[in-house]
Formats: sequence, structure tokens, C-alpha cells
Amino acid sequence: MVKILALVLIAEILTAAGQIFFKKSANELGFHDLKKMGAHLKFLAEVFSKPALWIGFAFMAIGLVAWLIALAEGDLSLVFPLGSSQYILILFLAHFMLGEKIDRMKLVGTLLVVFGIVIITITH
Amino acid sequence: MKYGHLTLKIFLMIVLNDIGDTISQALMKQGLIATGISSVGMGNIAEFLSRGVSSPILWLGILAHILNFFIWIIIIYKIDLSIAMPVGSFSYILVPIAAMIFFHDRIEPLRWLGIAFIMLGIYFVSKSKSSVDGRPGHG
Repeated sequence: MVKILALVLIAEILTAAGQIFFKKSANELGFHDLKKMGAHLKFLAEVFSKPALWIGFAFMAIGLVAWLIALAEGDLSLVFPLGSSQYILILFLAHFMLGEKIDRMKLVGTLLVVFGIVIITITH
Repeated sequence: MKYGHLTLKIFLMIVLNDIGDTISQALMKQGLIATGISSVGMGNIAEFLSRGVSSPILWLGILAHILNFFIWIIIIYKIDLSIAMPVGSFSYILVPIAAMIFFHDRIEPLRWLGIAFIMLGIYFVSKSKSSVDGRPGHG
């Protein structure tokens, strides 16, 4: 059980890291007027030329492998709810990396998610 | 343009996303069962990966998973997270039900209780101020 939870947490951390690299590559993009003819191809060419995008893909792919190992070892109805641990990560990442405020609703909600994960984990 | 209320079209998109989530996870699980490996360690991870990449059902599940991710991005582009998140959290009910039907999972009442707490938590997070402002945090 500890192994499954650890694998899910690793998967969620790597996925979150991948998304931050996606966001970083999106921030590096120049302006594209997508209404112009042929602009989409140029846009895509620039998107895929960003190393940060490929680093993001790599993180997500490794994260997916961790998720698949968890799913191979545990029942789907056990592993899937544990994936809600992403909400815990998002709370911290959005606060420390994007400067979003943690208000009371968000904190209470995230604690309820933690409580749910704990119940599922200890009763398994 | 971003909608502050739920239109039928977007509601259906989110429901489709929940169903897509359920289908992709079920396909991945089915593909993993087909590998015949239920415990992965240093000794058999290479074997696990090679059987995994040669499973069409697993690949179908991964493709559905990626497609679903893009649909979710479109949804949160169109509507506030405060609306998208609670409707989106129905996959936490759909996936276990699919697991009961297709994989004969036995789900203890306490596991349902844990799932209920998770969904309540997502509801609270969705009603926080930054979600109502519409800043995406989930993808």
C-alpha cells in the first residue's frame, strides 16, 4: 500500500513538473496572429522548437510510467482516488511558483482531500 | 470568451470528459492486466515496460488519456474552474463504478467515504476566490 501511494505521489509530482515546463515554454512564445494564413504551421513549429516543451513531455512520460506501475499493482478503484493528491501539490505550487494566495476555502478543501486519501489508504 | 455560468454544451463537454477519463483509465488497467505482471520491481521493470509497449489496449488508453487532457484544457479555457471542477469530479464516482463492473473490484464503504471527502474537498477548492476568478490551476 505504501508503495502504491508513493508511486501515485511520484506520478503526480512529475506530471505537475511537466505542466510547469509546458507553461514555461508557452511563456517563451512570440506573438502569432493565428487568423493569418499559414500562421498555424509557424506557430506549431515554434512551439515544438522549445526545449522546455520536450523537458515537459519527458517529465510527463516518466510520471505516466509511475502511474501505470501503481495501476498494475493496485485496483483501479483504489489507485484512481489517490490521484486527487494533485490538489495538494497544486496548492503549494500555485502558491510558491505563481504567487496565488491560499485562502480558507482552498485550505479546508485541500485538507478534506488529504483526509479522504488517508481514509482510503489506512482502510485498505 | 469565458462563460461565468454553465451552458448545456459545456456541461456535456465536462460529462464527456468524465466519461473519457473513466474509459482511458479502464483501458489502461485492462492493458496492464494483460501484461500478467502485478508487482513491478527492479528485477522485472524492463519486462513490464516491454510487455506494456506491445499492448494495443494500453496504448489506446494512453491516447484517450492525452485526448482527454486536451479536452480539459479547452473546458477550463471556456469556463471558470469553480464550475468545471465540481462537475469534473464526477469521475471519482464513475471510475470506481466502472472498476466494480469491469474488474470486479470490491469497494468497502470506507473507500466510498474517502471518495466522498475528496469530492467535498474539490468542491471547497473550486469555490475559493482564485477559482472563481478563473485562474486555471488544474489540468
